[in-house]
Amino acid sequence: MLRISNLHASVDGKRILRGIDLDVEAGTVHAVMGPNGSGKSTLAAVLAGRDGYSVDAGSVTFRGQDLLDMDPEIRAREGLFLAFQYPVEIPGVSMMYFLREAVNSIRRYRGLAELAAGDFIRLARQKIQPLGIDPGMLKRAVNEGFSGGEKKRCEVFQMSVLEPCLGILDETDSGLDIDALKVVSEGVNGLRGPDRAFVVITHYQRLLRYIVPDYVHVLANGRIARSGDRTLALDLERHGYRWIEERSTALAAAGT
Amino acid sequence: MAAVMQHASAYLERFSSSQAGRDWEPKWLRERRELAMERFLRMGVPTPRDEEYKYTDLRSLSDGRFLLSPDEPGGHARPAHLAGQRIAAACGDSLAVAGPAPPGIRLMSLSEALVRGEPWLEDRLASVASFERHALCALNTALFEDGIVIVAEAGADSTEPLHLEFGPGRVARLARVLVIAERSSRVTVVETYSGLGEYWRNAVTEIHVSENARVDHVRAQLESPRSFHTGVVQAAQERDSRMSSFSLSFGARVARNDIGTRLDGTGCDCSLDGLYAVRGHQLVDHHTGIDHAMPHCHSHQLYKGVLDGNARGVFNGKIFVRRDAQKTDAVQSNKNLLLSDSAEVNTKPQLEIDANDVRCTHGATIGQLDADAAFYLRSRGIGEAEARKLLTYAFATDALDRVGVASLRERFEALLLDRFAPEAA
Repeated sequence: MLRISNLHASVDGKRILRGIDLDVEAGTVHAVMGPNGSGKSTLAAVLAGRDGYSVDAGSVTFRGQDLLDMDPEIRAREGLFLAFQYPVEIPGVSMMYFLREAVNSIRRYRGLAELAAGDFIRLARQKIQPLGIDPGMLKRAVNEGFSGGEKKRCEVFQMSVLEPCLGILDETDSGLDIDALKVVSEGVNGLRGPDRAFVVITHYQRLLRYIVPDYVHVLANGRIARSGDRTLALDLERHGYRWIEERSTALAAAGT
Repeated sequence: MAAVMQHASAYLERFSSSQAGRDWEPKWLRERRELAMERFLRMGVPTPRDEEYKYTDLRSLSDGRFLLSPDEPGGHARPAHLAGQRIAAACGDSLAVAGPAPPGIRLMSLSEALVRGEPWLEDRLASVASFERHALCALNTALFEDGIVIVAEAGADSTEPLHLEFGPGRVARLARVLVIAERSSRVTVVETYSGLGEYWRNAVTEIHVSENARVDHVRAQLESPRSFHTGVVQAAQERDSRMSSFSLSFGARVARNDIGTRLDGTGCDCSLDGLYAVRGHQLVDHHTGIDHAMPHCHSHQLYKGVLDGNARGVFNGKIFVRRDAQKTDAVQSNKNLLLSDSAEVNTKPQLEIDANDVRCTHGATIGQLDADAAFYLRSRGIGEAEARKLLTYAFATDALDRVGVASLRERFEALLLDRFAPEAA
């Protein structure tokens, strides 16, 4: 579904990603872990198409097409969803209007009829309920005045309404208490299926007790330093990121 | 009368021929017009040398041809009916006042009121909107041909907006409106301005808000993109009265609005709000003035502007707090959104405070669309143009919320969205 090959990217001339290779098959969940500054969020931003990141080398294909060639809205319409680490507050735009516009933009792109207001409200109510979000939130401005936990839940709510084929979660677990973490994880687990894949970017191993990944990758210095199954996450928990970082620094030194 | 300004002849000619046909007008009005004409000729059409018109160049209006010329031929595209009952329309050489008026509201043309010799007119007409120091107000006073008078009788309570529509034509070019809200009455007045081709409209509205009365005034300037629009709205408020003004300014090549109120009694409340949205080479200029003459009054101002292309915006907000006006509470805010690198705004609060126990705040911002917000919308599948439109609408929405009439607010929202729709951008 997603194939990242030798991806190099920089911000303001500073090299952040130094050759990422990652294959994500439909039906799988990949966890990407790593210390601060390892390039986790840059990877998410590059995949979603945020301005300000330049891709210096490599390629990304998404469902057989060149992802890097698409505008952010096209990526979304093709089925990519990024749950933001820091969701943006947009005063003056109601959650309801925003999300319906998003749903209908995607539906138009796929040649489907737009959802009427009533149908959309029914859909939204149905999706919001399991996440324990007050439906009154739909009338509020997008993310405005939401607590950190509310914002993260709301990202998962949006994902469940938009039903992407690839969900990228950028530190959706950071700053959540255990109850919120469980709710968010159940929301994600409910979306797992044979046609859908997830890239779960996280700093903490804790999340992976609730969203059990098929693969774990550890990012260090802009490269995937190690890949394995979920036991790798447990090793990391025991040893910390240091042993991975030291290894990758040695590798980088040897490689250049 | 000694003409001191250049290009005076066209104005003088119109004035003389009009005065000759106005022998039926009461002596006080004829004298007032003489005085106004004299004042206008002395001051002339303002130039950028005048501090009040520093950014707004009206020099192409100086010879009066855009004001006095006949309309360009062609059908006038009337704006879609905005809201409420259309009670008066000025188009061509006539003015029509259509009934029936809501209970407690009297509607009439100014000429009708003058012919009837309504005794209150002398005190009310050309009294609040002072022409002594305002050349364009003086010009309107000297030359207006007819106008619309709305009187809300004491205790009348009318929330249904009364819609005054000003189109092309001699009468409407010099639009004149007089609103009188008697004690404890309430009235809502909506004025719309639209036309075709190249012309200059110079309008004046005077509003008297008596004790404990309330006037909600909305002005929608949707003039032709080649036109010039200058307008004055001036109110005077007695004690415990409330007045709101909303100025929507989307049209005209050059638009200048002077909107003010004088708080002449204690316990008054006023809000002067507006939204301007311009593009291309349009210029829109709002000068507001709130005169806090008495204690315990509250004023609120929120003006928002959206500027695209090479458009320019000017906002100047004057607040006077006189020595006696203790416990004044005045809030002023002007916020601008620039959609292009070449759009420009000049904004200036101007506070003159002579009382010591007051709260006055002001703020002005000029910003661009929030790139993070735009990316967030796009990351959900919303197209770039649509995201820009949505954020523009979001920027303007708290200003539009100041429009009390729901149906009108919806129309304005639609007009704003149309204006910055992808195909128009």
